This record gives sequence, C-alpha cells and structure tokens, in this order.
Amino acid sequence: MISRIILDRVLPRVFAGMDAEAPVRDSALWLRTVELIRPARYLIEAESGTGKSSLISFIYGSRDDYDGSIFFDDVPARMLSVDQWSRMRTDTLALLPQEMRLFPELTVMDNILIKNRLTDYKSGREIEEMLERVELQARTYAYAGRLSVGQQQRVAIVRALCQPFGFLLLDEPVSHLDARNNAVVAAMIADEAATQSASIISTSVGNPLAISGAEVIRL
Amino acid sequence: MKKDDNGHSGSVVWRLLRCNISTGQIIGYAVACFVGLAIVLAGLQFYRDVNSAGESDDPMISRDYLILSKKVEGLGSLGGAQAEFSKSDIAGLESQPWVERIGLFTASDFNVSASVEMGGRSMSTYLFFESIPDGFFDIKPDGWSFSPDDPFIPIVLSKDYLTLYNFGFAASRGLPQVSEAMIGMVPLRISVSGNGRQQWFDGRIVGFSSRLNTIAVPQEFMDWANGRFGDGTDSAPSRLIVEVNAPGDPGIAGYLKDHGMESAGDKADSGRAAHFLSVVTGVVMAVGAVISLLACFILLLSIYLLLQKSRGKLRDLMLLGYTPDAVARYYYLLVAGVNATVVLMAIAAMVAARSLWMPAFAALGLKGASLWVASVAAAAAGIVLTGFDIAAIRRRVIRTWYDR
Repeated sequence: MISRIILDRVLPRVFAGMDAEAPVRDSALWLRTVELIRPARYLIEAESGTGKSSLISFIYGSRDDYDGSIFFDDVPARMLSVDQWSRMRTDTLALLPQEMRLFPELTVMDNILIKNRLTDYKSGREIEEMLERVELQARTYAYAGRLSVGQQQRVAIVRALCQPFGFLLLDEPVSHLDARNNAVVAAMIADEAATQSASIISTSVGNPLAISGAEVIRL
Repeated sequence: MKKDDNGHSGSVVWRLLRCNISTGQIIGYAVACFVGLAIVLAGLQFYRDVNSAGESDDPMISRDYLILSKKVEGLGSLGGAQAEFSKSDIAGLESQPWVERIGLFTASDFNVSASVEMGGRSMSTYLFFESIPDGFFDIKPDGWSFSPDDPFIPIVLSKDYLTLYNFGFAASRGLPQVSEAMIGMVPLRISVSGNGRQQWFDGRIVGFSSRLNTIAVPQEFMDWANGRFGDGTDSAPSRLIVEVNAPGDPGIAGYLKDHGMESAGDKADSGRAAHFLSVVTGVVMAVGAVISLLACFILLLSIYLLLQKSRGKLRDLMLLGYTPDAVARYYYLLVAGVNATVVLMAIAAMVAARSLWMPAFAALGLKGASLWVASVAAAAAGIVLTGFDIAAIRRRVIRTWYDR
C-alpha cells in the first residue's frame, strides 16, 4: 500500500502559460510541490473553475492532461498501466466523483454491490448498517434514478467506502447535504478512514465535509 | 480481488449493460450471417459431393486428359510432311495455363506382328505399339513392366477396340463375343523385327484403357526395343497426352483450333458441363460469402453502436475499478455465443440441404464426400469472425478508457 502521494509542480494544461494569473499565482498547490501523506485529512478549498475536480481526476488516473508529475511513493502516475490503475482503484484509491455516477437503472443495493463484489470488502450486513447510518435503509431496493440528489450523494459515499483504500478522494461530498447529514456522513467517513488508517482528501467550494483536524489547502 | 467471475457482480454488470443491447440488431445480424454462411457451406459441400467421384473411375469434375494429334490435312502426308509435334509445339502447350503436364507418345520404330493359336489354327496380324509414361495410365495392371532378361510383353488395349470387335465385327460375322477376362487369358506370340534383327516374345493383354485409344506397351520395353530394332532415327511424337486442370476451359478448344491440333474423344463436352458446374458453384459460394461479409459489417456496426450507447456506463465501471477486459468480457461472450449459434445453425442447414440433393446423387452412383471439411470450414469461419469482433470490441473499450 502506498504511503504518500507527491504532487510535483502539477498544472492542468488548460492553465498552461497562466503562471502569473490569479488561479495559478495564488494557488497553494498548482506549480508547487505538495506531499499528501497518510493517515491525514486534507480539505481542498477552492472557487469553482480553479481545477479542483481536475486535481481529483489526475490523482485517480482518469485524466492526465497536466504538466508536472504525480508520484505514488516513488512511482510516477504516468507509468501505471491500465491494469495497474484498475487494481489501484480497488485496493488503494477510493473515489466519490462530484457527479456521483450512480447507475440510475440499478437499485441502491445493486449500485453498491457492483463495487463491493469487485473488492469483496464489506459483508451484506455491513452494507445494510452503513445504509442505516445514512438513513437510507428504506430505499435499499429503490432505483437510484428515483432518489433525490442528496440521497444519491449518500449512496455514492457508501459505495466509495466499499473497498480497501489508502487515500479517499471526495469531490464535493456534501454539496447537496444539510448540516445534520453532513455530520452523519463525515462521522462514517472518518470512522472508515481511521479503521484503514487512510487519508481523506476532500474538496469543497464552501460547504466542507465536517471533519476535524484537517489541513486546509487553498487551491 | 474478484472472487467469483460468475458471481453477483457479473450478473449486476450484465444487467446494467444488457439494457443497451438491441435484440433486433443482433437477430438481424444472426439471420443475415446464417443465410450467408449456410449458402457458402452448402456450395462447398455440393462441390465436394460432386467431386467425390474424383477418386473413382469416372470423375465428373476432375483432372482430365486430352489426347492430341496434328490435323492430317489433304494429301500433305503423301508429300512426306509428317503430322508431328515439334519441340516448339510442345513448349507452346506447356506454357498454357490449363496444362498440368504433358506425356509424349513414343511410337514403335520397328515391325510388330502378333499371332494367336486358336484350336490348332494360327491367326497372325501386323500391329503397332505405342507407349506413354506410366503416370498417365488410368489403370495399373499387374506386371506392368518389362525386362530383357525375362522377355514378356504386357499390353494395354483401348476399350474401344474390344467394343468394336464385340459389337461390330463379331456380331456381324457370327463370331463369339469375348470378355476382357477371356482376352486376358489368350497367350500371344509377338514377333519384333527391324534393323536386321528379329525376335519372338510372349505377350498378353493385361488390361483395357478407356483413356488411351492405342495399343500400349510399357515405356521400358519401347525404349529397349527402339534401341535394338529401330534404325536409330529419333522421330518426333505424333500424339501427346495432356493432363488439363480446367476441363472445359473454352480456351482449350480455341488453342487447339488455332494450332491445327485435334483432341480425341468427346471429353470436351463432359468437361464443359463440369466447368459450367464449377463456375455456378463458385458463383453461389461467392454470393454466400458476400452476404456473410455484409452480415459481419452489420454486426460490427451494431457493436460499435452498442458500445457508443454504453460508453458512459463502461467509463463509470472502469472508474469503479473494472478492467477494460472485465467489462468487454460480456460483449465477447455475447459475440461468441451469437457466432457459435450461427455456425451450428448453418451446419444444420447445410446438412438439411444436402439431404435434398444426395438422393439424386446416389442415383448417379456418387457416394458423396464427408461433412467434416465443410464443418471445419464453418467452425474456422466462426472462430476467425469471433476473433475479429473481439479485437474490435477490445479496441473500442480501451479507447473508452482514455475518453475524457
């Protein structure tokens, strides 16, 4: 399991040549060298349009249109093969995409199982408990497409936790949740991360995940 | 990682991807490919059944032999000009695409007479011998060889001569008709003379050929006897036996006419029918192949469309950690399943069609060829097709990985 992610002077290609302009000049991350270690908690605060979802995609390997380098320990991310990325996504990196990416034609349970059966990480009982904890046990067999956005967000969080991980990437995890639900999911995420002694990397544009003791990085 | 390939995750992913599959398109492909493949297979089997006679005596479509001679024109031969094949004639023939190989008739350069003892009376007649290389014989009689130490001459006669005797001469003169076996038992005394020498030989007719209209002796005897009794002039052959690979090729008749040659027998007609049959079979198979090919394009387009429709799902599955092969696997199985079904159905259709023509063939005495060549061809087509489809799917899915 990797123990650190190093961002070495990373810059999204769309920002190339804008070194002196606001989103890059004021950033604590773009074009700097940043080390994300574990276990730790990071809150990446950003205004929209500053490339926070891009950052998550770069680390998760779903995009590579950046300059600079990202290292997992000593291994450059660009060197990873498709199969290695696939393995990383089942045992090292967990992701909650900003747009959730649930399959609307599948039930809540199937959406979770489609991940969990790949990793074989949580028992059926544990999944039910997690759904209970985010107050969705009644919707277990509802189609994901029929849920409200806030409910979908909680299902997606449960799904993201159904795997072993060293780093949990959360892209605006509570953007559609109220303060009470924010606290509920934050506690569940913190518990899972603690169990796995993993790091949480969570982005927000003003409604941060309610976790304590996080290092805040201004993007 | 993934504990059970057939486990729940499999069925969930399949349920997810399945909704984008257009059953109509798949069935459309299957029907089109089935029709095409069935036509190709039936054509192939038909061709092989027709050719199954090839191993027996009277092939309908097979290698065929022409016996060529120069046209004897007017009184030309009286003036001393022999109707012989020159070296350039033979070289010209050899360069023709329809010529497989050429055998030269060697004529005897000595006098031959044969006598038969029959009931105390002796009948004698002048004869001629010819020989051709052994490979051109349609029959292989026992003892077809010659050695000067044991001077016995085996002779092969044209079947036509026996027919002429039995149904022409014997019938009109009230003489007994004779069978091939009976003639084979008659001992012949053969006198060979020339070049100041004369020698008696024992001989026997050992077989009848329907291909050669001559009195044939082994090449070994001819070479030996020409050397011993001939006057040593190396005469050009007056007849050729030509193995043709495309019987009925209209080019043959044209070439012969242009070069003043004639072919013996009416092989040309049956050859033409055989040629026509093979052309028709070829056309039918080509049509089947075109249909199959078009069907493959339908399948490929359907798959591309399907993958295009499912692109978001594929990308999301790969974001969850599924490898491209793990998601593509379901399409591999789909394509393999459909193709296997098509191949099996096409083989079944071929067998059914064959049962329609085989009774007619059996009446002609054709046994038919085995089914395994067509079946293996079908399986091979299925495997190649599936491999091609799988490669195309894999390329598309991996491209989805790099989608932004």
